[in-house]
Amino acid sequence: MRQAQDGDESAFAEIVRRYSPRVFSTASRFFRQRSLVEEAAQEVFLKAFTQLGSFEGRGSLEGWLTRIATNTCLNMLRAGKRRPELTVSDLSDEEDQWLEQQLSDTKQRSVESNLVAADLADRLLSVLSPEDQQALLMIDGEDASIKEVAEATGWSESKVKVRAFRARKKIREAMEKLLRSRDHKAATT
Amino acid sequence: MKDKHITEVLDNAALASLSPSELDAIRAHVRGCEACRTAFAAAQISAVMIKERTQAAVEPSPFFQTRVMAAWREQQAVESVPAIVRLWRSSRALVSSMALATVALGALSFMVSAPATTTLDQTASAYSAESVIFQDSDDQLTYDQVINAIYTDDGDNK
Repeated sequence: MRQAQDGDESAFAEIVRRYSPRVFSTASRFFRQRSLVEEAAQEVFLKAFTQLGSFEGRGSLEGWLTRIATNTCLNMLRAGKRRPELTVSDLSDEEDQWLEQQLSDTKQRSVESNLVAADLADRLLSVLSPEDQQALLMIDGEDASIKEVAEATGWSESKVKVRAFRARKKIREAMEKLLRSRDHKAATT
Repeated sequence: MKDKHITEVLDNAALASLSPSELDAIRAHVRGCEACRTAFAAAQISAVMIKERTQAAVEPSPFFQTRVMAAWREQQAVESVPAIVRLWRSSRALVSSMALATVALGALSFMVSAPATTTLDQTASAYSAESVIFQDSDDQLTYDQVINAIYTDDGDNK
């Protein structure tokens, strides 16, 4: 660490090698496209190297990098546009079939069906603010505690709770709407 | 719980974190409540989707470290050059073209303005009363004689 702070290139390379999986995992929470995840991760390490002098070693380097990664990804997402709410006509045949399986007892788990679920989740999540997405994915997706999310993002615990509640409610309501309109469509055809 | 709608319970915490007794109470309620049944189904599907979304993490490629180090070296190289030099490098083309344009305009205005002055002088001399009198006369006239000639003519006309 001290070597890296002194500008030692091999120490930087070691930091990249050791913490890339963690930074990639954080960036994957926000983006699914490899190119975007890599772009974000590279920016995180470049920012970290320029700010390494300000790292006082109070917390872990991993935690510090995770925080930089979170802020970098949030900024990238804020610069992008939010998608309009998903409607039943936007569903692909695979997505529709996956929903059908979830509603029945014949739940199928395969690489393909997992990808369909992840794609659908991505589209539903895009109606949320980047911050609400982050809170929901960490708590409901990665089983992180409120405290862990607060530490990773720098938000207060009550703010994390509010964000997670709001995100959960919005996603559930969007899904309910989707299910109702699917039922309606099935009844009319 | 049986008579109370369960949507708030669904939104308050992750479904996976609910205790078996809480889940039993939810199930008991949804048996008799159509609205909450749809809400519970939606919450269950959303929970599965979110889990799948977080499983789909991108792994670092083998070249990632090399790429970051190359980008860092490039950044270091840019930062090591003094600001004034960086400014000059970025604005070199613009400043050069502006200087060239100024020189070209200067040269052009010099070349165009010289014959224009001559033409004006010629025009002025061709139409001034003094020069008409000077040109009409064969002898060399003084300035007073020219003035006299002008004003005498005026008097005659009156």
